[in-house]
Amino acid sequence: MKFLNKIIFFYYREYKLNLSGFQDILTNIIFFFVSILIFIFSIGPNKEIISLVGVGIVWTLLLLSSTLSLRKFYQDDFEDGNLLILHLNGLSFGFIAILKTFSHFFFVQVPFLLSIPIACILLNIANDKLIYLSASFGIGSLILSCLGSISSSMNLMNQRNFLLGSVIVMIFSVPVIIFSIGIINMEESFNSLINILFGILLIVFAINPWASGLCLKLSIENN
Amino acid sequence: MIIVKDLSVERLNKKIFENINLSVVSGNITILKGRNGSGKTTLIKAILNIIEPSVGSIYWKGKLLKKNLYDFYNNVTYIADRTSSLKKLTLKDNINIWKKLFLSNINNSQIEIALKTLKLDKYLNQKVGRLSLGETKKLEFLRLIIENKNLWILDEPLSNLDDDSIELMKQTFEDHCGKEGSIIFSSHQNPGIYVTDEINL
Repeated sequence: MKFLNKIIFFYYREYKLNLSGFQDILTNIIFFFVSILIFIFSIGPNKEIISLVGVGIVWTLLLLSSTLSLRKFYQDDFEDGNLLILHLNGLSFGFIAILKTFSHFFFVQVPFLLSIPIACILLNIANDKLIYLSASFGIGSLILSCLGSISSSMNLMNQRNFLLGSVIVMIFSVPVIIFSIGIINMEESFNSLINILFGILLIVFAINPWASGLCLKLSIENN
Repeated sequence: MIIVKDLSVERLNKKIFENINLSVVSGNITILKGRNGSGKTTLIKAILNIIEPSVGSIYWKGKLLKKNLYDFYNNVTYIADRTSSLKKLTLKDNINIWKKLFLSNINNSQIEIALKTLKLDKYLNQKVGRLSLGETKKLEFLRLIIENKNLWILDEPLSNLDDDSIELMKQTFEDHCGKEGSIIFSSHQNPGIYVTDEINL
């Protein structure tokens, strides 16, 4: 019960922090929509082309926008020593990584998930594709959060080059993009492709606490 | 309570310190003294099992620390040389988060008394980022009261504090040791606090 309370109050802390930094979340969403508008203006008024490349644009921008927030994943808690305090409060580094991954999913990715219908209207994406896009992003965004956790924890050991972490996330996101776009364009193979996406999620979800936990431990050790 | 036996730490083939022996029992205050860069923080991190010592062992309540880590962490409050309070949030929010996160059973009137003693009561609704360094440090000490644990490990607790606050800390240390608690703290200067053991690094 004590442990469960610690988890609940960890999320209370995250909620308070994200509420106070709400402008960061809002900036990410604005970046997402402004980028969509730039794409629309650069492609021109041809509705067919926009609707053809629309899903790809949405996914690419979702990936780029969520990468923007990676710098904050562990950095603040690392710099003010809160990671260590959370660890001394009985949470292992691996478990902190899991909790932070879900926190990133709820406070960064879910607002994007809620923005997808508006993005679909702007990009003339058919209504029937919206449900597939949302389903693929629901799973895909959790994969991105896991990858973000690994790369951000690696960044703590390499403070000089933040972009390296973003590049790692992008490289490992390629399979996620392939299968997510596949789900939307090949509706008849929805079940098999969503299963593959779910499989990728399970793999990164299993690796995340080990890899991130180790990086967090090493970075605190060497700090 | 805690015994450190022949502890040596080496990093990147460089000896930080060697053969440190330390024994802390209830009611003891131990000071880790040394100039800047002498390894005080490293020794604290080794005691907290954050850094792996190259030689030596640490015991907690008669068992190897590594095998008794959960109980050790349940009994220790660590305050680092930097402040862990969340700067974007108000003092009130920080206190609430600490109370909840550390499952503290301290009541609001006790918190109010502590805030008044630390002269922080007027800043309750102010963001921590707007406080001075000394005030943030004093807020950090509130965690000692909220967590209410036996062993306090403090890294440079007296830096950035004015004379009144140092006097208050001395009193707090004495009160804690009077309640069978114990303290390990580091300092690069003579703090003028009665200590039972001194480790020079």
